[in-house]
Amino acid sequence: MGFIYEGLIKAFQLLFDGNPETWSAVYITLCVSSLSIFFTILLGAPLGFVLGYCRFKGRDTIRMITDTLLSFPTVVIGLVVYSLVSRQGPLGDYGLLFTLPGIAIGQVMLGMPIVVAMVANAVETADSGMKDTLLTLGADKFQLLRATLWEIRYHLMLAGVAAYGRIVSEIGISMMVGGNIKWHTRTITTAIALETGKGEFAMGIALGVVLLIIAFGVNFSVAKLKRRAGQ
Amino acid sequence: MALYQLSNIVQTYGERTVLSIDKLMLEAGTITGIFGPNGSGKSTLMRMLAFLESPNSGTILFNGKKATIADTALRREVTLLTQQPYLLKRTVQENIEYGLRVRGRTNISGIAASALEEVGLSPQTFLSRNWFELSGGEAQRVSLAARLAVKPRVLLMDEPTSSLDEESTERIRNAALRTKTEHNTSLIIVSHDREWLNSISDHTVLIRNGKIESTHSL
Repeated sequence: MGFIYEGLIKAFQLLFDGNPETWSAVYITLCVSSLSIFFTILLGAPLGFVLGYCRFKGRDTIRMITDTLLSFPTVVIGLVVYSLVSRQGPLGDYGLLFTLPGIAIGQVMLGMPIVVAMVANAVETADSGMKDTLLTLGADKFQLLRATLWEIRYHLMLAGVAAYGRIVSEIGISMMVGGNIKWHTRTITTAIALETGKGEFAMGIALGVVLLIIAFGVNFSVAKLKRRAGQ
Repeated sequence: MALYQLSNIVQTYGERTVLSIDKLMLEAGTITGIFGPNGSGKSTLMRMLAFLESPNSGTILFNGKKATIADTALRREVTLLTQQPYLLKRTVQENIEYGLRVRGRTNISGIAASALEEVGLSPQTFLSRNWFELSGGEAQRVSLAARLAVKPRVLLMDEPTSSLDEESTERIRNAALRTKTEHNTSLIIVSHDREWLNSISDHTVLIRNGKIESTHSL
């Protein structure tokens, strides 16, 4: 038990003394997860709207695939993205392997099913009078999309927060596609795995504390947004 | 020329035929009252007249032109107030101004306030209120204000007074009459309150089992 206690003390020292290696992992995590969540919502929200709003052939199949992708293991996504961005892969020329944009591609693939499924569900279950009201007030197709997304904004934020929670805590993609390169692609989760493997519990605990704070913030936001969405 | 000309309209939901109208003509600049028992197809007819729903077969001519639900310009000439109106999750002012904004209108200051006054609500009290701060009757009147604000060519109202008290019903009646005389708006109103409907309408249409049973001029 002693080493855990000592690790905890040292962890707070690392955090409060501004240890560059620790804070580099935090900074990189925040950078790459922000990039990922931005593109996840940008692509996922309109797709979710289409899936929830439009009736077309194959819609149920796409819904089923989206739901399946919700539980896609991160290492498998890492493997897929790795094969795409590695030198022999179709995106090999862009030099995305072991870069933050490379990790972001994988994280967008991880977060998008969450946003698509939650937005589609919100659009489907939205008050049926909403669509008629927007149309009868004169909205065209694009205005209908915009207004519907605004009407379900709390559900959309909820989807974004839920996707962010999954993105920020994943390790498989960051490890495989990012390569865990110090100062460049080392995120909180990959650093925790590495430091724990080396027996350096202090830094692992310090980064774990930061991850817990982020997770708490995410869950707090989810609870708040759920209340607003239900209003 | 008639405002609406409906010919050979059939609408079915699954196996059930909810509407079967051989011919119906509605005149411009008048108030038409539609009544009939529950489930007779009144609301379906209103949705078609608002271009929110297409019939399975038959044609609807609006001002002599074949109408389709994809025609946004046509849809902007007509607006429908439903029995349980939906308010956008915004303030009262934003709700009323929405129809103006989607039409690209920019100089809209004061329109929301005067539309609220039309339906007997104080702009000072209600303009900045949120959608969830309104009672059922207030929401109904705000919804009507939003429709009056766009000055539609046709205002369709489906049971507009069902959840209102006597005073509010009278206000709706006055607002409807005013919009007809001041803006030459045609009104088509569905109501169970036959007496109220007769007091406001120029023509009435009785619909039963999806068919037009009779039409009368008052």
